[in-house]
Amino acid sequence: MDITSGLAHIDYIAMVILFAVGLYIVLTRQNLLKKILGLNIMETSVFGLIVTSGMVDGGSPPLLGRGLEAPYASPVTHALVLTGIVVALSVTALALVLIVRVKRECGSIELDELLEPEE
Amino acid sequence: MRRVLALAVVLVLAALMMAGVNQLPPPGQADQPVHRHVAADYVAGGAQAGGAGNLVTSVLLHYRALDTYGEVVVIFAALLGVLLVRSTGGPPTRPPSRLVPVSPVVDQVVRLMTPFIALFALFMIVEGHVLPGGGFQGGVVLGALMILLSLILGPERLRGLLPIGAVTWVRAAAPLVFLLCALAGLGLAGWWFALPDPGWLREFVLVALELAIGFGAAAALTGFFLSLAVDGHH
Repeated sequence: MDITSGLAHIDYIAMVILFAVGLYIVLTRQNLLKKILGLNIMETSVFGLIVTSGMVDGGSPPLLGRGLEAPYASPVTHALVLTGIVVALSVTALALVLIVRVKRECGSIELDELLEPEE
Repeated sequence: MRRVLALAVVLVLAALMMAGVNQLPPPGQADQPVHRHVAADYVAGGAQAGGAGNLVTSVLLHYRALDTYGEVVVIFAALLGVLLVRSTGGPPTRPPSRLVPVSPVVDQVVRLMTPFIALFALFMIVEGHVLPGGGFQGGVVLGALMILLSLILGPERLRGLLPIGAVTWVRAAAPLVFLLCALAGLGLAGWWFALPDPGWLREFVLVALELAIGFGAAAALTGFFLSLAVDGHH
């Protein structure tokens, strides 16, 4: 692999790094809120990867009848990511409210404290 | 120890994914698979078949309308879950926190900007099939406006804006209108979410769907925020 082919994928590689950062946060942090933040970072990296794959260098947004010239960016990836963002938002909201509930019931949102057996 | 293990797992996975993405066609070129198969068809025929110059809206509300239906059901289910978790359960652990007094500058600016933000949100929703924007985007702007207003006026005044019964219907608007349009398509043209033929009727259906998505998303966002921000029951 020569250097130019490596640089051609630099957008994808950046998203892989972002995904790794998010996964590391999810795996190592004990705070439930931070786990959700890590999950959101992972989601963002996936959205970035998909949207990047649909881009065209020097292309137009996929709007017809506005005097924009082909090539257009792929509308499919945009629609996919729009759906993904909405689902990610729903997951985050539900997780946050469950964390509020855990805090209220158990008094903590640190996973290691929650998992300790009560005496 | 645990961190070292996690780091090792993450690094191995990242290396695998790096090797994977390096085999993908590089982004940014128009002759790739992602631009060739369905995407090319959508660009060629999307404006005609979907009745929308904005091809993203065309994909969302025509080609993949069933997926978008699932999406609005997901956000509605999440809203139901949030409201359910917040409305059941023990007493609040602390008395409801008092609102911090808002700076008069912030208060005046938000009041001044409110009609313009609302107009912009509405514009994004109803013009979402021909211009950048759409139901979800406009709905998020509208929801952000509602959250701003609840910070300025307080959640109680915000709740007074709409009667309780109407709030329920607005929250359920998106799944209900989608179901109606799906059945209308089934009845008129013979398949789910078929768009009716005359151009004006097609546009009417699209705008109705966008409006339902927009107000549904705004109601969901506001519901999420109020459920999380206001301690105790409501």
